[in-house]
Amino acid sequence: MFSIHSTEQLLKAIALACAALSILVCVWYIVRRPHLNRVTKSMLLLGLGAFPLIVSLTGNIASFEYTLSRPFCGSCHVMGPYLRDAEDPKSNSLAAMHSRNHKFGENSCYTCHADYQMFGAITTKQNGMKHLFKYITEYASTGPDGEGGPAIHLYKPFKSGACMQCHSATAKKWVETHGDSAEAIRSGEMNCIDCHNDIHPLALSRRPGAGKGAAK
Amino acid sequence: MVLFSVIGTIVAMIFMAASIIFPQPLLLVLAMSIGQGIAIFALVLYLLAVALDLQSSSAMYIPSEENPATPDSSSAGGSEPPAA
Repeated sequence: MFSIHSTEQLLKAIALACAALSILVCVWYIVRRPHLNRVTKSMLLLGLGAFPLIVSLTGNIASFEYTLSRPFCGSCHVMGPYLRDAEDPKSNSLAAMHSRNHKFGENSCYTCHADYQMFGAITTKQNGMKHLFKYITEYASTGPDGEGGPAIHLYKPFKSGACMQCHSATAKKWVETHGDSAEAIRSGEMNCIDCHNDIHPLALSRRPGAGKGAAK
Repeated sequence: MVLFSVIGTIVAMIFMAASIIFPQPLLLVLAMSIGQGIAIFALVLYLLAVALDLQSSSAMYIPSEENPATPDSSSAGGSEPPAA
């Protein structure tokens, strides 16, 4: 039984219903081939204009929401090791611990890797298009975990701003534990992942024999 | 023209519905670009067909307005009195 538990599912249901209605109107026109009178024009305006517009709007929003989720990131096979670790309830890697946090939930990849700035969502999606292009051109025929392909690396250094969305760099306990490094971290001279670097332990770059310059 | 636009809309709807049911990256990108492009093109084609239809029907209507003896104008009960 199909049930709706979130806004994304509701939008998907609306989009699918409108797509079905649009196709029904189109099939009706093809089968009956009615004269182009006022009723036919109105029906076709619904089937060719209104319903597709709703499908487009709701489908885009639902799809955009889905692209933020971990299953979407893991749908390319090269992300397999990252996904397996993030979803492992016994793993103590940063990715797994953050994925278990209900504040991150299914969107743990996006929450940490999205650009943290005014147009961060747009630049992140631009990078997503770059991912897709690289996947098709460089990784499509690689091994089950991307073996044989170039090392996966970030386009730019991971900034501590992503961590500081949740971990305040002014909290008393944080300042105490980070001591002299606190100011360097705040100014960007040091990054959180310079020390907290057990992030994606199953990544190919972490396997024995992996080349330099690979991602952590 | 309307038939082409109807077929185009069916293709676009199948594309978009498939991307919602099977949200794979490539399919999503194709549906959001090519699928929506086809749908917009189909709608423009349909609106063009309607505009051409309206134009042709209004072109047919002009002679009937000029000629008060046509059945349309006589049955509508025009304001001008009939010729003696």
